[in-house]
Amino acid sequence: MKNNILVIGGGPAGLEASANLKRMGYNVILIEKESKLGGHLAKWDRLFPDGVSARKTLEALTDEIRGVNCFTETQVQSLNILDKSYNAILSNGITVLADAVLLSSGFDLFKAEKKEEYGYGIYEGVITNADLEKAFREKKMPLNEPRAIGFVHCVGSRDEKAGNPACSKVCCATAVKQACEIKEVYPNADVYCFYMDLRMFGRHYEDLYLKAQKEFGIRFIRGRVSEVAEMADGRLQVKAEDTLSSKPIRVTLDMLVLMAGMRPSEAGRSVGRQINLTTEDDGFFSSEDNLLAIQKSKLPGFFYAGACTGPKTLPDTLHEARSAALEIDRYIKENTREK
Amino acid sequence: MIDFGFTVSPSSRLDLDKMDRTSFNALAKIEPDVLKCMACGSCTASCTAAQFEPTSLRQAILLLQRAQVEQALNLLKGCMLCGKCTMVCPRGINTRHLIISIQKIYGK
Amino acid sequence: MKSIMIAAAQSVTPSGIIDRYPNSYNHFVLPFVIGISFIIVYLLIGLIRVLYHLTGEDRMKLLKSLFIPKTALKNIRDIFCDCLIHTKIWKRKPLLGYMHSAIAFGWFMLIVLGHLEVALFAPRHLEGITEGSLYYPIFYRFFIWMNPAHETLRGTVFFFLMDFFLLYVLSGIALAMFKRVRSIALGMRHTTKPSLADRVALYSLWAIFPLRLLAEGFTADLSGGSFLTKPVNWMFKAFFGNELNFMPTWWAYSICLGLFFLAMPFSRYMHILTEPLLILFRNAGLKVRKPRKGFAEAEIYACSSCGLCIDACPMNTQKKNLKYSSVYFIRFLRRHNNRKINEIADKCLMCGKCAAICPVGVNSPEIRRVQRETLNNNLKFDYSYLDSTSAIEKPKANGKILYFAGCMSHLTPKIIKSVESILKASGNEYEFMDKDKGICCGRPLMLSGKTEAARKTIEANRKLIEESGCTTLLVSCPICLKVFKEEYNLKGIRVIHYTQFVDNLVKEGRLSISKTSMSMVYHDPCELGRGCGIYDEPRHALESIGELKKAPKERDESMCCGYSLGSLTLDDKDRGKIAESAVENLLTNKPDCIVTACPMCYRAIRSKSTVPVKDFAEIFCDNIKLWD
Repeated sequence: MKNNILVIGGGPAGLEASANLKRMGYNVILIEKESKLGGHLAKWDRLFPDGVSARKTLEALTDEIRGVNCFTETQVQSLNILDKSYNAILSNGITVLADAVLLSSGFDLFKAEKKEEYGYGIYEGVITNADLEKAFREKKMPLNEPRAIGFVHCVGSRDEKAGNPACSKVCCATAVKQACEIKEVYPNADVYCFYMDLRMFGRHYEDLYLKAQKEFGIRFIRGRVSEVAEMADGRLQVKAEDTLSSKPIRVTLDMLVLMAGMRPSEAGRSVGRQINLTTEDDGFFSSEDNLLAIQKSKLPGFFYAGACTGPKTLPDTLHEARSAALEIDRYIKENTREK
Repeated sequence: MIDFGFTVSPSSRLDLDKMDRTSFNALAKIEPDVLKCMACGSCTASCTAAQFEPTSLRQAILLLQRAQVEQALNLLKGCMLCGKCTMVCPRGINTRHLIISIQKIYGK
Repeated sequence: MKSIMIAAAQSVTPSGIIDRYPNSYNHFVLPFVIGISFIIVYLLIGLIRVLYHLTGEDRMKLLKSLFIPKTALKNIRDIFCDCLIHTKIWKRKPLLGYMHSAIAFGWFMLIVLGHLEVALFAPRHLEGITEGSLYYPIFYRFFIWMNPAHETLRGTVFFFLMDFFLLYVLSGIALAMFKRVRSIALGMRHTTKPSLADRVALYSLWAIFPLRLLAEGFTADLSGGSFLTKPVNWMFKAFFGNELNFMPTWWAYSICLGLFFLAMPFSRYMHILTEPLLILFRNAGLKVRKPRKGFAEAEIYACSSCGLCIDACPMNTQKKNLKYSSVYFIRFLRRHNNRKINEIADKCLMCGKCAAICPVGVNSPEIRRVQRETLNNNLKFDYSYLDSTSAIEKPKANGKILYFAGCMSHLTPKIIKSVESILKASGNEYEFMDKDKGICCGRPLMLSGKTEAARKTIEANRKLIEESGCTTLLVSCPICLKVFKEEYNLKGIRVIHYTQFVDNLVKEGRLSISKTSMSMVYHDPCELGRGCGIYDEPRHALESIGELKKAPKERDESMCCGYSLGSLTLDDKDRGKIAESAVENLLTNKPDCIVTACPMCYRAIRSKSTVPVKDFAEIFCDNIKLWD
């Protein structure tokens, strides 16, 4: 008899874990709340640091899940812990009796309109990183011949007021990537990055930063944007402090891109509430151990992969998905032996 | 003193070994938020007074940590306590009380 | 007993009332006389002290106010309503109101009727101290013998009234005892811990009236009585006989009165005597100038320590903050505990709710502000940059509206954009005073106790406003509004908040509004509601858009959002907790959205609300036809 594994969330983590579990011979049920698989990856255009296509990356991941029972537009309606298994009723009416559950619910982007002073949803020229990726994907750039464009790092990250004191890890590299890309589209525009600290920690990230300076002439300003006002002609006046020269600065831009950070997925948290999964202060789920067993929850047979336990890059997520698959395999085998 | 016909100009380098931290520690005791600053500059950027007069809480905190009291106080004396910096500070620093406390401890 | 009566049968008045004691004196009156003398001397000294610490200008103001008929009438009405009937408490908690008015008004009537009785039947005893005018009316029933045969209708009415009011007071006392045992039953969650003097005063107050009943009961067959004292007389006579208990009860009665008066100045019951003074001061328009002297001293001693402000304080959402309530602030002021005084003064949000609900009307936020002055006014700040003429572009608004957004509104661009849209939609010409650069209105400096510094920014702004030639100053921030109204003295310029402006447009039919089925709840910002008394205009205007739901606590009881500039030391986390409880209050009746009219409240409530939060101008922008 094949063991049932329920994977909640069809983003990169869910896809990679399902593919691996399927290969190990399990009966995998993958559910995704949206109509398409891929999560945020499906909405992105190119990926840092090398600018590979998000579409191709996602295709490579989905190619591997043949044989997985995949339900899109499906959510968990109720989840119960049984003796040694989990009973899930799905919103499409199907009931799953799973020997193990993998939660790969990922993250939601911070709602940029919450940072009222940046004017998202109020001024037309203010967009988010996700909006910009969408424009890149659809090749429909919103502006004609802009003179200046700005990127605001840490929107809803490292911000106690926004309820998210932690760093979202990926926005710095994303912002630098997007800044280069937009400079490719509008070579004549001045492009500014307003950052607090530039966290270019991964392999080739520093190269990206250097490229942005050398090849694209992106201007980096160490200072957080504090206020955005709209001029009579609809352009945006942005105020910040250039902390390195200790001078308040003001600059007029045609477009301001807000690098919205990562918040725990609301859909994931509602699954967690059904079985009283604990979260840490930041709202992300708490693991059994943050060094040795980040994939394990405190419940036997319930596992995590990806950003549901905190902001992660795509490679981090994929590695975690594979190791979660291994952990699940080990758990199932140990459990069956006891029988 | 023997007149050598020249003087040694004072070094512009800060000597952290000789720095007196007593006042800063006293400040941190009455307003611990001073330790929370990550120097993002939001306060200076939105400052009402900075439109007229060099005013920067961020820089003042840094200078106080380096025991550069006079310069720091000069950067705060124009503050109108309007509270905008409190609202924009991502670390939730109680900036108005911090400014008042700095004046109480250093501004004699 | 017989010998006493015979000795006394000398001065028979026409109404058949006989002084039982020729010199109208008995030793038992001594405790009372000591107590009442003490309190009179204490009050006189206190009054002189308070008056001495008023500025000369304030003293003149006070004196004049006593002769202005309108103020004098208001004084009488306020003293009657607040000190005797306690209308404020009635409105809030009827049972508690009954308790207070029973004791205060009942006792007051007993004293008045007692004196009236003496004035009518034994006027000689009011003629001077030597005739016992200090105590005789109080112990009237002890000193007289009433010939039952000569009982007149007038006398009977008095007997009845005296017994009636005694019963009234007793019912209040019974409630008070019950309240002590179960304060929750009367709707108070927190109440203050009484000090030793409070206890002495409290227990003697409880004892006074039952003892009076007993004492007058024992003499009721001699001095006359009515439905209450007569039955007591029959009953006790039947059980104990009279002679044995006669003197001890009168002694006990007198001792309790004496004790009460002796403990009074050191207890919460001082408010009974200080409140009328406070009313006179307040109605004369005096202001607190020093945190411990003059007007403030009158306020401090008028505090009844009732603890209503503990429940009202928005900081009470966390138990650790209960100690910052006004009642404790005033207690520490009485005790001159400077460390605590400053700690509480700096912590307070200055939302004004405690002052709004205070039954005595003690404006303790104002005392806190003045307390902050003592420490912060002299801190070195320098605003000489405001003097330079090139510092700021002068707005020109000849005959137009001048719009001042204020510092905070620049962090909520939605408010500014919506106000501008409404101005355009209603066809008003306007000038945006602080679009690019603005000077702070001065209210935050005042709230921090830097009044002198505030004068500088006020002066700079006042000049800009007056020289702009505007007719109306439109303000979108309630914090600015309050200071513009109270401190700027802008001659010939109407200062209005945008809620009032929009309400006028609605009333004049100058906005084409599409009514929706949306339900809303309105959050009163502290500075707009309690600060400027603007409650009705925003509500009236909102009703033209959709259904306006009520919140359990609203208008002058509205909860502070927690982000008030008033507090100097409250940290971000604690403020967040207050915002949460404010949102909880607003969402009680499940509205579709929350509307408010202050940039601070807007940000605070938005950060905690589960339903959409709209600014007042924003919601009008969403629901009116705009044309550019």
